[in-house]
Parts: sequence; C-alpha cells; structure tokens
Amino acid sequence: MAQVPLAIVSHKRQVCSLYKRALRNLEAWYDRRNEFRYRAVQLRARFDENRCKDLGEGTQILACAQKELFETKHFQPRNFANSAGGCAFEREVIPPDWLLDYWHPLEKAQYPEYFAKREQRKKEYVAWWEKQHGKPDPKDLGHH
Amino acid sequence: MSFTQIARSCSRLAATLAPRRIASGALVQSQASRMMHRIAVPSMTSQLSQKFAVRSYSAKSTIEDIKFRVLKVVSAYDKECSGRWQTQSVRRYSAKPPLSLKLINERVLLVLKLYDKIDPSKLNVESHFINDLGLDSLDHVEVIMAMEDEFGFEIPDSDAEKLLKPADIIKYVADKEDVYE
Repeated sequence: MAQVPLAIVSHKRQVCSLYKRALRNLEAWYDRRNEFRYRAVQLRARFDENRCKDLGEGTQILACAQKELFETKHFQPRNFANSAGGCAFEREVIPPDWLLDYWHPLEKAQYPEYFAKREQRKKEYVAWWEKQHGKPDPKDLGHH
Repeated sequence: MSFTQIARSCSRLAATLAPRRIASGALVQSQASRMMHRIAVPSMTSQLSQKFAVRSYSAKSTIEDIKFRVLKVVSAYDKECSGRWQTQSVRRYSAKPPLSLKLINERVLLVLKLYDKIDPSKLNVESHFINDLGLDSLDHVEVIMAMEDEFGFEIPDSDAEKLLKPADIIKYVADKEDVYE
C-alpha cells in the first residue's frame, strides 16, 4: 500500500518538498548555524542551476536528487517535539468534540447552559450544511 | 599580615563573638580576647575589647526592608525587559509563553523583516509573497521553514502551499495554538 500514490503531486511541489527535506537534512548534519548557512547557500545554488530545464530533464534530475538525499540522510534527524518522531509526539491527547454527545444525561444536566447552547449550535450547523450542500437524499442516510 | 589573613581573622572573631549576643560569659569573653592578637591593629584591639562595638549589618534590616529592596530591583528589571519578548528570564520546563494574536503578528512580521530577500518597506500583513514581494517558490519554502523554527511546530507541505500571505500564516499559527481574541 505504501507504494500506491494517493494523489498526483506536481513537479513543482515535489521539488519544493525535496528542497525542504534537503535543508532539514543539512540542519541535522551541521549543527553550527554558520556552517549550516554555508551549506544551505550551496544547496540553493544547486537548485537554482537546474531552474529552467524542461520537464523531462527536470524529472531525471529530481530522481537523482531524491536518491542523493536518501543516501546522505542523517542517522538521527532532528524533529519538532510535537511531530512524528519528536519527544512529545502524541503526549497530549485532545479528546474529539463528539465525545461530549455521549455523556450520560445526568452528566449533561450538570452543565445545562453549555449543553443547551451546544444543541443550538448543532442545529445551526445542520442548517448551514443543508444550505451549502443541499438536503441529503433519504436513501443516503445511514451507514450502510 | 596580608589583607586576606586579616579578613580571615576578622571572620573568626565575628564567629566567636556571635554567641555573645545571646549569652555573655567569661568563656566567650576570653575567647574573643584570645582572638584579638591576630588582628594587626592594636588600637582597634583595645577599642574592641572595651566596648565590643561590632556592627552587625544584617540585624538592622528587617524582612520588610529586604523584601522592599529585592522587589525594587525585580520591578526595575521587569520594566527594562518588558519590551523584549525574546529574553527568557524564567525557565519554562515544557510550557510555552502564552501567545496572543498581536504577539503572533509581531513575531511573523519580525521573521519576515529579517529575511534578506524581502524588502521591509514593501512588507505588510496582506502582501502576497510571490506576487507582491517577488519571492519564488523555493524562497517561500524557506519562509515557511523559518516560521516552523519560530513557532516550534511542523507545517506540512499541503498546508504550506496555501500560506501565501503573512495574514494566512498568522491565522494558521493562531488556529494551531488555539489562540483567539
């Protein structure tokens, strides 16, 4: 499943993504900021060199560059704390909003004002949705 | 006798004299006078042995005095540092300083002003990166990376390509950090 492309990604977006990953890779390798900047400028020059090539050649260069990035990948890349691989990834669990609908009526009764407003908001959302997308077909209602 | 030695002798003397305030006795007195010969100022020795006029600096200031003095210094420091949100005087272990829309706005614009390919005079919240400021898509990637570093969370590519104005970035960061007016 991992090999199946889920969306068509344009060449430009692939190049941008590659540039970002390459810069982050350099950042992982060179922790001194001045050294990193030097390498980053060199990398930018390499990208600018191949700017005005036609798509066929560009695709080839992109494939080579992706291979190069794969080969020079850092063994322990730096990640942001809350993104995958970071030290605080999924540390804080934020319960989804629909969970409140499954409270027991006695529990809901402890916060009458909030739940009255919530019901009102749900009605408004349904009205907005029907205005946006039209009334749902009764045949489509239900899960199966 | 060097100054260091004098200072040491003085401190020993002070230590010896300290209990005398509570309970004066012949033993304490004799200890003090035994210590006297170490100080190389004979006239002072006689004076001290007569009156024991050792000035105690800490006994005079009450807790209120100390509190007042410390709070004065702290408030002066706070006043000096209030404009600079980047200085971190308190170590926050995992919590971030609270954000507001104004602060996000300032920080985003500061990052953009410091970026060398953007002309600060043309920059405003509604200026388009590519059309108005003349950046290309790779510069835009660099801008987004700077924003990631500034606010400390990752911006995925699918979101990044929609953030084409500083206002979009401000809104995106505010949504992520759950900041509202």
